[in-house]
Amino acid sequence: MLKTTLAGLRAHKLRLLLTSLAITLGVGFIAGTFVLTDTMQAGFSQKVTAEADKIAVAVTPKDPEATLSRKDLEKVRAVPGVREAQGLVRAAVPLLGKDGKAVGSSPTTGVNVLTGELGRVTVTSGTAPAADGEAVLDENTAKAQGLKVGDTITVLDKDGGRHRLKLVGLIDPGVDQELAYTGAVGFTTATALRLSGAPGFAEIDVAGADPAALKAALARALGSQATVRTGEELAAALARQAGVDTEFLTMGLLLFGLVAMLVAALVIYNTFNILVAQRTKEMALLRCIGAGRGQVFGSVLLESAVVGLISSAAGLAVGYGLGALALAVLGALDTPLPTDAAASLSMRTIVLGLAIGLVVTVAAAVLPARAATRVAPVAALRTQVEEQTFRTGVLRAVFAALFVAAGLGVTAWGVTMRPGERTSLLTVMAGGALTFLAVLILGPVLVKPLSAAVGWVPRRLFGVPGRLAVDNSGRNPRRAATTTVALTVGVTLMTLISVLTASARASLDARLDKQFPVDYMLMTQSRESAIPRSVAEGLRARPEFASVVQIREAEARSGERTVIAGTYHGPVKPALKAGSLSQLGPGTVVLSGFQAKELGVRVGQSVPLTTKKAGTVSLRVVAVVDEQSSELPPVTLAEDAFDRYFGKVPDAQVFVKIKDGVPEDRARELVDAAAQPYPTVQVSSSTEVRGEFDEALDMMFKIITGLLGLAILISLLGIANTLSLSVHERTRESALLRALGLTRPQLRGMLSVEALVLGLIGALVGVVLGLAYGWAALQTLMAQTAFEVPLLQIALFVAMSGLAGVLAAVLPARRAARASIVGALAAS
Amino acid sequence: MTVIETRSEAPPAVVARGLTKVYGTGDARVHALRGVDVAFATGDFTAIMGPSGSGKSTLMHCLAGLDTVTSGSVRVGDVELTGLSDKQLTRLRRDRIGFIFQAFNLLPTLTAEQNIRLPLEIAGRQADEVLFERVVQTVGLKDRLRHKPAELSGGQQQRVAVARALISKPQVIFADEPTGNLDSRSGAEVLSFLRTSVRELGQTIVMVTHDPMAASYANRVIFLRDGALVTELHQPTPQSVLDTLVKLEASAC
Ligand SMILES: Nc1ncnc2c1ncn2[C@@H]1O[C@H](COP(=O)(O)OP(=O)(O)O)[C@@H](O)[C@H]1O
Ligand SMILES: [Mg+2]
Repeated sequence: MLKTTLAGLRAHKLRLLLTSLAITLGVGFIAGTFVLTDTMQAGFSQKVTAEADKIAVAVTPKDPEATLSRKDLEKVRAVPGVREAQGLVRAAVPLLGKDGKAVGSSPTTGVNVLTGELGRVTVTSGTAPAADGEAVLDENTAKAQGLKVGDTITVLDKDGGRHRLKLVGLIDPGVDQELAYTGAVGFTTATALRLSGAPGFAEIDVAGADPAALKAALARALGSQATVRTGEELAAALARQAGVDTEFLTMGLLLFGLVAMLVAALVIYNTFNILVAQRTKEMALLRCIGAGRGQVFGSVLLESAVVGLISSAAGLAVGYGLGALALAVLGALDTPLPTDAAASLSMRTIVLGLAIGLVVTVAAAVLPARAATRVAPVAALRTQVEEQTFRTGVLRAVFAALFVAAGLGVTAWGVTMRPGERTSLLTVMAGGALTFLAVLILGPVLVKPLSAAVGWVPRRLFGVPGRLAVDNSGRNPRRAATTTVALTVGVTLMTLISVLTASARASLDARLDKQFPVDYMLMTQSRESAIPRSVAEGLRARPEFASVVQIREAEARSGERTVIAGTYHGPVKPALKAGSLSQLGPGTVVLSGFQAKELGVRVGQSVPLTTKKAGTVSLRVVAVVDEQSSELPPVTLAEDAFDRYFGKVPDAQVFVKIKDGVPEDRARELVDAAAQPYPTVQVSSSTEVRGEFDEALDMMFKIITGLLGLAILISLLGIANTLSLSVHERTRESALLRALGLTRPQLRGMLSVEALVLGLIGALVGVVLGLAYGWAALQTLMAQTAFEVPLLQIALFVAMSGLAGVLAAVLPARRAARASIVGALAAS
Repeated sequence: MTVIETRSEAPPAVVARGLTKVYGTGDARVHALRGVDVAFATGDFTAIMGPSGSGKSTLMHCLAGLDTVTSGSVRVGDVELTGLSDKQLTRLRRDRIGFIFQAFNLLPTLTAEQNIRLPLEIAGRQADEVLFERVVQTVGLKDRLRHKPAELSGGQQQRVAVARALISKPQVIFADEPTGNLDSRSGAEVLSFLRTSVRELGQTIVMVTHDPMAASYANRVIFLRDGALVTELHQPTPQSVLDTLVKLEASAC
């Protein structure tokens, strides 16, 4: 039996190639994910270990917000066995760009660059700062700002004073994600402390001989306020932190890998079904000469196992290539990821890749193998190939009804749950999975009517070949259904994502338009109340602006909780959940919905507030606002009361609206001019906010669709596979048509139209599912979100699916058209 | 008699001169046809006979433009086939030639009527409805038009194929063992329809067969052996065909 199977495999190797490709791609993606994240993880570990090797013990404050004092450093230095100890400074020191404004959306982080035994920072060019007037920058910031060694840079101290320093070198921020995000500017320890005004050190690094003994001694000396770890422990902790990050990436990517494998499974299932159907005679002959049912079953499974194993092995190679490629791309994009480690194919990746590929292939072949055992020996004697007929069985009807009811029921249940909670989204997802199963079961029933509907145009447009093609597309409903469902998976997810992004965009637009009707917003880089009130007052005095709203904030306590208290000046119209804003005055307060819930109070009740200047006061809640649509602080007081409680705090945010008819350029000039003297005050326009948000959404959409592209590609292989197998089955038919006068291009066109119809069916079902579940998911995410259907995008998906189907038909069609008529007529 | 007179005056429907067909190369070379000269008169019903492997099917394929010839020439009507492109050959088959094969003549997805009209639709021509009625009537398929091939018997399927070949009024119909898969009664039915179409519609038919009974329906039988034309009979009877065949077999040994 083994010999027969292997001989069969060799004979059908071309036909199995497409199937193998489906598995290879799926396994390749999964293996590639592991290669990428394993390599990144290894790179992280390497880097942090290399850094931590230099230190024996690291001391950090227990409370991450707190710092270690100079006295702590003295204590450390006094401990016997400490060879050297240095504090690490880490605090905001905004770097100014050439326009005199602070660089980036958050302030640059100032650090001290240590040299000698404890020097952990890599200086890539120039030297480390050695004197007061010297500084270094991280390479990316220097490049972005066009600065080079020898230039003069300007930074702000904590009081806003400008300081000019000489750039003496460039540093590599390594794998520190925070430094990579904010940018880093390095000084000597004394300068770093002076400029940043940091009260102490973020970490104290210690060099010494015996890390374990030192750790114990230091822990004794410093007491409970500090965490003491050996260099090894620190490295492990850092690597673990990085590991959590890469795990997220792994999980996210694997999700797409699983979708791809699901699609591949459908393709394999279909291929084996068709192969078994085409080999009915061969199977029957085997049965005639005495092979048992078990042997036939085994031979099909064995065939699938060989295919699964070979293509998974190829998948591992593809995965290695993909992983290396992704690393190269990430490296070229200057991401703060360790991409220079050599890509590695770990044992786990190999085992998992082979196992997944093998299991999926064999599992997908089980049903076809069972069908093969049902072939009666007498079938070997029949001459005429029977046309596959399909009747809706009772069992199918019952199951379909069950799954439809369950899918819709669970979905409806999820939709009616409270939005914003994870369970409701998960419930809708479960409903989606059930509905998908229902579609899978109903597929063969749906194919005929759908192909008639979709084929309406091609039938009229392409004459006889068109009509024959549409008939052929629905001819074997089971086969057509599985082929198209594979495509449906990808299109459903694409549509879902495009509905979600379009709706998110529409929701934001609506929110910006209705509840946040501003043209410009001013805020500081550090998000603190630091905009002098004179800025807003100056703008308000100008005739070009319709309204200027100031928001001030300060930290306060309410009972045990830290809250953000604040006030506003200017016209605001927040959406109210309860009460009214007009009663806000002395002794009253307006809360955000979230804050009211957290404090457990309603309109009419009182909350205590511990203020800076007036001690603890009791305030009566007069209104609760919807925080999603208001920029008011969580605890909003009347202006006078706020001043009394917290003093004359500067503005945290200023919202400016242009008067109608004032040109935008002119308004922007005025706002920029008002903010110019204050380097950390940043101006953004609502158009910019929209633009940034749009860009972020677009980016996300592109990445997700790119990743889903793999599933679509695999389903196209499925279409190509089904068509080439159908072409093979219909050799006689094609020859007959050619004899009767169908030209080669017409025959090719016929197959293209068939593929077009298949592609369109898959796409249409996918669009319907995607729209329905996009809507359902939105209901679970947030109350009052706009449901936006990106018609153009969806039309594009449908068109692309049809086109892709036609592309998939190119090779099978060529083969059909090339076949010699006489040869095909003879082969009966 | 008058019918035969007009027939002989019309130019022949198909003419082959020095037809040679070689399959394969080197040791595997097979001379399927060795210089065949033959003409088929318009409105004539000719049977091609010969032992298995004598080149009957090959001759038919070459005459019908389904296969290319190694050397020699074929004319269908006034069109010379040698040198035509695939597209031109397809056009020629579509417009001038009808086919009846031994089996698998019909598209399983189409009804009998759709199958009959298929060549005309491929050509984008209007069916002659009077002819359609007459042909359907003659072959006795009136109440089977809406059936799919799977719902028809073998004889009925071949009758559909005959109707399909007749409906486009081709210059010549080629039939390759059209009754090979039928029982003798169904076979006789199909053959008499072919003969009727020759008599009443003036259709030209060339039929390959190995059955002397079938050959006797033709006006003329030509005999092939080892790819060459050896003899021919006019107004054959089953007995005369059989006698000729026996003689051929004997001289071959
Ligand atoms: N495609 C082919 N390749 C090689 N030899 C062929 C091919 N088709 C036919 N032949 C050979 O040509 C000869 C004539 O075949 P054919 O015309 O089919 O004979 P018939 O129809 O009289 O039985 C035979 O010897 C056959 O083996
Ligand atoms: Mg033959």
